[in-house]
Formats: sequence, structure tokens, C-alpha cells
Amino acid sequence: MGWIQTKWTAEQADDWTKEDYLSFILSPLVYFLLALGVALSLLLLWYGWVILGASIILLVVMIKIIDPKLKAVSRDYEAKQKKYLEELEKIERWEE
Amino acid sequence: MVNFAFLDWFWLVVFILLMIMCGVLFYRLGKRSMADFFLAGRGLPWWLPAASVYATHSATDTPMWISGVIYKYGLRGIWYTFFSAWCAISAFASTRIFRRSLAYTQAEWQTLRFSGLGAELLRGWIAGWGWQVFMNMFVLGWVGIAMGKLCHYLFGWPDWVGLIVFSSICAIYVLTAGYWGVIMADFQQGVIAFSVIVIVSIWGIVAAGGPQQIISKLDSLGQSWRLNPFAFTGLTSGEFPLVWFLTMLVIAVIGGFGMGTAIDWYPEAQRIQSAKTVRDASYSIWAGSALIVVRNSLWAVAILAFFSLYPTIKSTADYEMAWYRLGFEFLPVGLVGFFFAAVVAIHLSTISTHLNLGASYATRDLYHHYFKPQASERELVWVGRISTLILLLGSFVYGLMMQEITQWLIFALWIMAAGIWLPSILQVVWWRFNSWGYLSSWIANLGLSWLIVWILPEFKIIPPLPDYLQFWIMMVLGGLIYIPITFLTPPEDMDRLVKYYAMSRPLGWWKPVRQEAERRGLLRYDEQFKEGSI
Repeated sequence: MGWIQTKWTAEQADDWTKEDYLSFILSPLVYFLLALGVALSLLLLWYGWVILGASIILLVVMIKIIDPKLKAVSRDYEAKQKKYLEELEKIERWEE
Repeated sequence: MVNFAFLDWFWLVVFILLMIMCGVLFYRLGKRSMADFFLAGRGLPWWLPAASVYATHSATDTPMWISGVIYKYGLRGIWYTFFSAWCAISAFASTRIFRRSLAYTQAEWQTLRFSGLGAELLRGWIAGWGWQVFMNMFVLGWVGIAMGKLCHYLFGWPDWVGLIVFSSICAIYVLTAGYWGVIMADFQQGVIAFSVIVIVSIWGIVAAGGPQQIISKLDSLGQSWRLNPFAFTGLTSGEFPLVWFLTMLVIAVIGGFGMGTAIDWYPEAQRIQSAKTVRDASYSIWAGSALIVVRNSLWAVAILAFFSLYPTIKSTADYEMAWYRLGFEFLPVGLVGFFFAAVVAIHLSTISTHLNLGASYATRDLYHHYFKPQASERELVWVGRISTLILLLGSFVYGLMMQEITQWLIFALWIMAAGIWLPSILQVVWWRFNSWGYLSSWIANLGLSWLIVWILPEFKIIPPLPDYLQFWIMMVLGGLIYIPITFLTPPEDMDRLVKYYAMSRPLGWWKPVRQEAERRGLLRYDEQFKEGSI
């Protein structure tokens, strides 16, 4: 999947990109197929297994697309979190 | 009535002791600070809040409700349970934005996103005098009395016994260890509950003769449509129209861009903030809800099995007990007690979440914000405990009067979902949407829902409308009120918007705010990225 970015700087990861939009499409699709696939597989219907298999494949694809970006967002954000928390307490205590 | 053998009681007692141990073991962690008492110190790996999301949304009344829709509608009934799919987009959109805000609660987030009097009114409304404290008390009463009724069915106890006994046991570990106790107990409860749901559902399918036998039986009864998840009754007509299905998909899926589009957002918000990173928050919400989707499908097939065994039940109250009956009537002695322990697990996980969540709003958004901003951490933890106790006692009162108010509660949940659905998205994705717009949408929604659902049909001015039509009408009419109000009132203070943008990096239409943040040097950029090379 060369068209998917797998290496992110923190600055790049802060923006919303095609990787995010793809996860917005794939994620509900995985839920939808999972709901159908589990029910129909339990009834031992062959197309239930196909749907369940498709949902697992799409889940793996989704994670491959979004995980590098989420890691980058998290790494950068952890560094800032302490400062943000101090800011938040100031707002909470009406000191700003 | 069910007769318990020694082994059955053994399972139940062991399970309850395990739960109480969570309170004892995590007592020291829970009392360290308000962040520990309500968010477990914001340091949890994704799988702990995920188990909590799953466990919380598996309540005592959930299998009754799902049994009801599957028995009535067949496999297409799984779409009635598909509302949890709002987490699909939320996990990668609003969850990420909310986690970056570091607000303790959704009410607090309102004062980070908005500013001035409007923001304070919104925070007060969502936290205390209008919504979350009382809503959590309502949910506690509702779920608590469902447990009371189940214990009445099983042991012949009066309803209040099951309500008070199990909620009080739960309160022990919530009062002592706060959210640390909740999350650790939820993990155990989630594992036990999911295992038992798998065991009982498969046991039920086998008891009905297996999948082939279920399909043949439905065929011979002329009920094979029950196996079709897409057996629509028409575009707009019948009991399962296509437009209802499409409306549900839109509400569930697009709702994930907003905050507060589903009632479940509020407990999820607490789990999001308790995760140690943005990534953990996203995966916790996604995985917890995926388990819910799988659970619903397991239940659905088990209920089809039950239908093939008992196809002629007419009373809703009777067929709503379908999944419980599969467990209590078909499991062998010894496993029945384990099944009941799992039912208690399902129950306690929901009760503990709402006790701690309601207390977090009372402590953080009411006491700390409005009454005593300089309160010490020790004092805030104690206020959290006292709030938990008040919620527990309030839930007993609500639970005992629930027979009369269930209809009102369902109405309250519906009005919560319909008219503020779009504004709850707009507040996340559109910089110009201000606190007055959002506040007016809540007020408009209250009035419009009364008119459209109750008053106009009562006076025969309009016919009673199907729920999907009520949703779209309330959305359009509400928009005619809050959109003009938004444009007639000034935008939020740019200082606040820029601060919020730099912290949360929201999605959507934020160009003027972004430009101002760039001008102030608050956003760092890689030159290559700026030139659009990706």
C-alpha cells in the first residue's frame, strides 16, 4: 500500500488526511460486516463466513492505514500533555 | 423460580468477593487525587477502557430488550441494536479531538470549546441542573429495578431486594477506589460476561437442535423471513421500512463526528480521558463497541433458537425473558450459578460506571467549578465519595417509582437524541457555531419534541408519526431556530477558539481559527508538508 503514508512527523500527523478519511469509511463498514458475519456464521450459512472473513480483512487494512498516524499523534501529544493539564487547571480554577 | 445447588451459590459468593477486593486493592490509588478517583490517573492501556465500554453497555435489561426485538422482528432486529456503531467513526474523529482537550467530562469540554456566559450555562445544564447527574441517577434506577425484577422471577424476592442489595454491593468498591475500582471490576466482569454470553447462546442453539434444525423449523413454520436481516416491509410502510433503516444508519454512523449525539457518549467520554494516549483512547472505544456488535449478533441467533423452540409466545414481557430462559432452563446444575454470577457481573458493571460518572459531574463540574475552585485533591475525592452515595440513594427512589416513569424516561432519551443530534456535530466541526446556538438547540428540542411527539397528535392536528419521521422533522425545525440564533449572536472569543484549536486540532470548517493560530505561531509545520507533497 504505497499510496498510504506510514512514516509521520508529529506536525504532519496533526492534520486530517486521506488516512483518516479512509478509516471513517472502513470502520463502520467493518462493524456492519461484523454484525452480519457473526450472526450468519453462527447459523452455518456459507455467505456468513465470507462476510465475517471480509470484515476481518478490512479490519487489518484499517489498522495498517491508521495506526502509524495514531502513534505519531500520541507521541507528540504526550510531550505536550503536562503543559495542557496545567492550562486546564488554570481554567478550572478561574485563574486565567 | 430457580433452585440453586451449593455450587451455584459458591460461584455467586466468589464473584462478589472478587468485586469487593477491587475496592480494597485499589483503595490507595483511588484516593490519590481527583484524576485518580475519576480517570484512573489518565494512564490506562486501551484494553482496560475497552473492556469497560463493553461491560458498561451490557446491562441487566439489555438481553431483555434485544430478546424483544429479535423475537418480534427476526434477524433484521440486529439493526435496532446497531446504534452502538456511532463509535465506528467517533473512535477516529471525535474521540481523538476530545482526548486532546483533556476535559474531565463533556460538560467541562463545553467551557474549553466555548467561552463566556453561554459556555457556563451549557456546562451547568449538561452537568447538573438539567442532565448528567440526574440522568445517571435515572439509569441507575432503571437498571437497578430490572435486576430487582429478575431476582423476583428467579427467587421470588420482592423487587426492592434485588435493586438495593446488588447496587449496594457495587457501591462498596466504587466508594473506596473510585474509577480504579470501576475499571478493574469492569475488566473481570467483561471477561466473565462475554464468556457466559458465548456459552449460553451456543448452548441455546444446540438445545434447539443446531443451526440446520433452527432453519428447517423456521421454514416449516412459514417464518423463514426471520433469517433475512434485510427483510424490509416497504420503502416507508410496514413495521420495518427501508427509510427507518437508512435513518438509523445515518444517526449511528454520522453521529460519530459529534460529541453527545448518543446518550452513550457520556460514559465513553470518561473512558476516553482515562486512556494513556490518544491511540489508546481510539482503540478502546473502537474495540469495546466491536465487542458489543459481536455480542448482539450472538444474542440474535440464540433468540432465533428460542423462537424455534417457543414460537407462539404473544406477551412481550414473556418473550423478553428469552435469553435468560435459555440460561436458566437449559444449563446444568452448577453452571446456573455461574450464569447468575455473570448476570450480576453485567449488572454491577453498569451500576458502577453510572455511580462514578454521575459523581464526576457533581464533583468536577458543580462543586469544583462553581462552589470551591481552590478545593484540595483530598477534599475533592471526599466530595466524589459523598456524591456517589447520594446518587446511590437517589437511584433507589427512582428505581422504586420506575413503573410509572419508564414511558417518560424513554421520551427523555428520545428527545435527547433527536433535536440536538446535528448541533452536537456542529459544535465539533464548525468554528462559527457558538454556545448560544447550541444552548438554543437544547431549548428548541425540548419544546419541539413535546409538540411533535405528544401535543399535536393528541389534538389531532397531525397524525402520530413514525419515529424516523419525528427525527427528520425535529432536525429541520430545530435548525430553523438555532442556525439564525448562531448568526445573530457574535462568534466565540477568538482567543478561546485559537487555544482550543491548538490543543484539540478539530476536524471540519476551522479555517479562520487555523489562520489566526498560524499567525500567532501556535502551530508548527514541516515545510515539505506545507507544500502539499503528501
